[in-house]
Amino acid sequence: MSNYFDTISIGQVIEGTPFHPTRETIREFCEASLDFNPLHLDDDYMKGSFGKTHFGGIIMHGMNNFGVISKMITDWLYPHGGVHRRLETRWKSPVKPGDKITPSAVVTATKVSASSRWVTLDIKVVNQRDEIVAAGEAMVEFPIDN
Amino acid sequence: MDPKPNQSFETDFWKDAKLRKAWDDIVPGESRRTVPYTLTLEAIQKYCRVIGDLHPLYFDEDYAAKSPYKGLIAPPAIHILLMFSCTPTDDWMRSPGTVNAGQSWSYNLPARPGDRIRLEARALDKFIRKDRLFVVHDNVFFNQHNEVICSGRGWTIRPA
Repeated sequence: MSNYFDTISIGQVIEGTPFHPTRETIREFCEASLDFNPLHLDDDYMKGSFGKTHFGGIIMHGMNNFGVISKMITDWLYPHGGVHRRLETRWKSPVKPGDKITPSAVVTATKVSASSRWVTLDIKVVNQRDEIVAAGEAMVEFPIDN
Repeated sequence: MDPKPNQSFETDFWKDAKLRKAWDDIVPGESRRTVPYTLTLEAIQKYCRVIGDLHPLYFDEDYAAKSPYKGLIAPPAIHILLMFSCTPTDDWMRSPGTVNAGQSWSYNLPARPGDRIRLEARALDKFIRKDRLFVVHDNVFFNQHNEVICSGRGWTIRPA
């Protein structure tokens, strides 16, 4: 377990579990996150325009995407004693009920600091049309005493 | 730890909408009023189930007790729930039509069931880009021992 960091290579890919948002999961995410913004609830409201953006119906919470990415990272890390330290995301395009989203990560760098060991990753989430719906970066730690 | 129950949560985001600051009124650097929140195991597991994350660190007390975490924890992204739990109804974060453009979070310690969570939050920046009104909000969550759980920023597009 403690040697896992030494086996990590630049370009290594981590695949996450696909997520299938539905109207029900979006409603459940409202309940679980307490984010009841009508963007996620009210189709009539979503027929309107938001500045230059027209969604045409309810959309999944961006933070649902964030949670799916974060789960991918912890699923990878926990068996190896790693710690999820940072996640930055940008939402590129809305996710709607019926879509299928799949997160993945690519190792971009490893770094040994004064007292620990770190890995940075590029993150992306694609939908069923292989369009990028979210992109970002993550940083994880593999403590030396693990 | 303060065991008092959490306030009831208003799920109608239109309520008090007129009390909330619009983009024009938001002052970067100004603190946002927040409310403390007691994180329950039920709330953690509800979030986990929706995401499809059934890791035993969040569900199996015996497994978690034997792990390096020495007890059940919440997943790092539990700040998703904490953000709205700690935000009062008149806060602009609840304005209908607020669009999340991006987030950046750093994790220090895991939150745990029973933690009394406190949020320190402020608007950090506001700007116009591609004809859209943006605000950056800055947030730090603490536990009852005044230890940082996580800190993060969010970029939101404000309703015009």
